[in-house]
Amino acid sequence: MKLRITEYLDIDVAREQWCCNRCGTALISARENYKHGCLIAERPMEEVHPPIVAAGDYSFRFDPDYCRLLEFYCPGCGVLIENEYLPPGHPITHDIELDIDALKLKHQSGHVG
Amino acid sequence: MSAFSYSRDFEVVQRMRPEPATAAECAAQALVGDLDFDIFKHKMHMIALEGKETTMKLGASTAMRWGDVAFGVFTAQGDLAVCATGIYHHAVLGQIPIKYVVKHWVREPSVRAREGDAFFYNDPFYGGVHNADMGLAVPVFHGGELVCFVGAAVHTGECGGAEPGGTSPLARTQYEEGLRVPPIKIGEDFRLKEDLLNMLAAMTRDPRTMILDIKARLAAARIAERRVKDLIEAQGREFFIGALRKILTVTGEAARRRIARLNDGIYRQPRFMDTVGTGAGLTRINLAVIKKGDRITLDLSGTSPLVAGKPVNSFFQGIIGLAMVYFCGWLFHDLPANNGLLEAVDWRFPEDSMVNAGGEVSTSMAPVVQVCFTQGMFLCGARMVYGAIPSHAVAAWFSGFAIPVYGGFNQFGDPIADISPEINATGAGARPDMDGVDVAGAFFATLSDCSDVESTEADRPFLYTFRNFFKNSYGHGRFRGGAGAGFGLMVHNVPGLALGAMGAGARFPMTLGVFGGYASPPTFVQYVEGSNLGGLMADNRASRPGRLDDVYSDVNPELGRRSLHDIAMAVQVFRTGDTIYFGVGGGGGYGDALERDPQAVMNDLRDNRMARWAARGIYHVVYDEASLRVDHEATARKRQAVRDERRQRGRRYSEFMRDWQQLRPPAQALTYYGEYPDSGRSVEQAPAAVSL
Ligand SMILES: [Zn+2]
Repeated sequence: MKLRITEYLDIDVAREQWCCNRCGTALISARENYKHGCLIAERPMEEVHPPIVAAGDYSFRFDPDYCRLLEFYCPGCGVLIENEYLPPGHPITHDIELDIDALKLKHQSGHVG
Repeated sequence: MSAFSYSRDFEVVQRMRPEPATAAECAAQALVGDLDFDIFKHKMHMIALEGKETTMKLGASTAMRWGDVAFGVFTAQGDLAVCATGIYHHAVLGQIPIKYVVKHWVREPSVRAREGDAFFYNDPFYGGVHNADMGLAVPVFHGGELVCFVGAAVHTGECGGAEPGGTSPLARTQYEEGLRVPPIKIGEDFRLKEDLLNMLAAMTRDPRTMILDIKARLAAARIAERRVKDLIEAQGREFFIGALRKILTVTGEAARRRIARLNDGIYRQPRFMDTVGTGAGLTRINLAVIKKGDRITLDLSGTSPLVAGKPVNSFFQGIIGLAMVYFCGWLFHDLPANNGLLEAVDWRFPEDSMVNAGGEVSTSMAPVVQVCFTQGMFLCGARMVYGAIPSHAVAAWFSGFAIPVYGGFNQFGDPIADISPEINATGAGARPDMDGVDVAGAFFATLSDCSDVESTEADRPFLYTFRNFFKNSYGHGRFRGGAGAGFGLMVHNVPGLALGAMGAGARFPMTLGVFGGYASPPTFVQYVEGSNLGGLMADNRASRPGRLDDVYSDVNPELGRRSLHDIAMAVQVFRTGDTIYFGVGGGGGYGDALERDPQAVMNDLRDNRMARWAARGIYHVVYDEASLRVDHEATARKRQAVRDERRQRGRRYSEFMRDWQQLRPPAQALTYYGEYPDSGRSVEQAPAAVSL
């Protein structure tokens, strides 16, 4: 039994695993940060936010001293599960830390959704 | 005057949740039947709506005329029970000044509250946001008993201070922010006190607007007062008091039931701000939303310290106010909007952090801090609700402000100081099932409007050189954010005008996407001194920039001294004919852009909402450049190749972190940040800041 958690993430309740919603690949334990089970890349900022104005500090590209763009891919199908804009070197956010025991309890007692 | 200390009241600002019901309220509440209650709620909402509309119709400042109006009905203890607004924070925060009046003035012999009185306030410590937000409330009596308050809280465009237009990006302390009025009695016997109006008028650059706005709030409150009295005549005082209280009770219960449906867990979003008023500087607002059972706790531990000497701080009450924008407008959008919702919410703010201002620090640009925080609410909220209510998991609306701020004299010689209405022309965030709405409004004022340009030109010394959709202004994704607006202003028909800009997001995004959706692009301003644009306009054949992307094109024929500037820009003098260009941004994107319907990508090209580089480089659509016909098979192959390439390029977490951890922003960027990356300011270390 899988529960949908985000657009791209399911949790396999019995196996306590984060899974890709698109291809079913198991990513990592549901008690961990799902991002640790993704493939991670720093996306060159100019690919997503290209500088339109040629020179200078204001160009429609975010300043790489302030901001980098990280992408988290499913190792199975390559879907973009999430991205994160972070200052360089800033820890990656554990953005969804579910109470798995509560989730299992809720699921077993039939109070889902 | 026995218990009054002439200083801030730190107790009353904590009381944003409903006051304990009085014995009379409890008894009265029990007598209210379901059917009567439904009719009552509807009637009260209509009264509040009429209050909002009346305020808008009579007001003078930009925000008031175009709908940033919160009109509320408050219990006799000061709790917000009913409001008509999209600008929920002003309604929710409006109860603090009323609770202040109840606590300090109702029984104070030199003040008192009687029928016909009116109270005014703009001190941001009680209003929660900044000095430009002003409110007026009147006590409503029936048979000699105080039964409720009614009032309007609205941003008036000018409040004195070091710079015109309501915010002072250069303010170093609260004393440079301008007018600061804790709740005072401004009217008695159904009349405003002219001596006090005269004093308030003397303290701002735009006295006419200041006074008209006060009178608009009062007129609306008087109409609502009349309606409430009629209702009490028909239904009885006890019914009214009980039903008003019951609204709070049922709202709190419904909010807790809604929260109980969501998955227990901790949802986190650090938010980064890239300006400290004027000039660059990185700060972090660190949000964790802790959901357990039927309660939510907002934990701001790890937020950057107070930004001393700069205006980018917020009182904690303003942060809760903005959280209520998300709660009222999104998470609980189908529940009554009142502070009963806060029965389900707790909060923790670290002391001496930029989200928990104290001392004399300035909060003049608190709106920027607060919308930066609210982005975190949207993102944490999307992650929290998707499992139970996926349709509520939306990307954030544009949150960078990016608006002109000005002061001077208009074309009729009248003093003016204000902001422009494009604050209400931002794009909505993308949703799980559709794109964000283009130029939808403002997330914090969803019932507002950006005016037609002619109305703005009628009494402001501007000529709009264009105003229309801003191409590439939104975050890309499976569903894209709604487009924002681009516009150009020429100073017109006056010798000069002090003109600047307010906002953030030139270096770090203010508006993020969700579930792989991208952020809205950076915002900044361009201005041209000694522009030849007036001449180009006079020569009807000459081409001239008609959209924001033309302004940045290589073949823009506008000549003059051209400058690009941070979106946070202190006012400087513009001469007649000088131009300035703004991009009010679009919403954040939702989902992986590779999943976007290729035809939707073509539609965006055809509608000029998007550039071709994005069709190719973000969405990887293969199409014919002339006909915009999609090659679906080639597109599917191309997108598969991109997915394969991602799997080649992506690295495992531990491997990725080896290099990533070595990086660090330059020291100059971290001046105001606190300890990087994790500031030591946590609630655990400052237990005194935990609210009870
Ligand atoms: Zn997958």
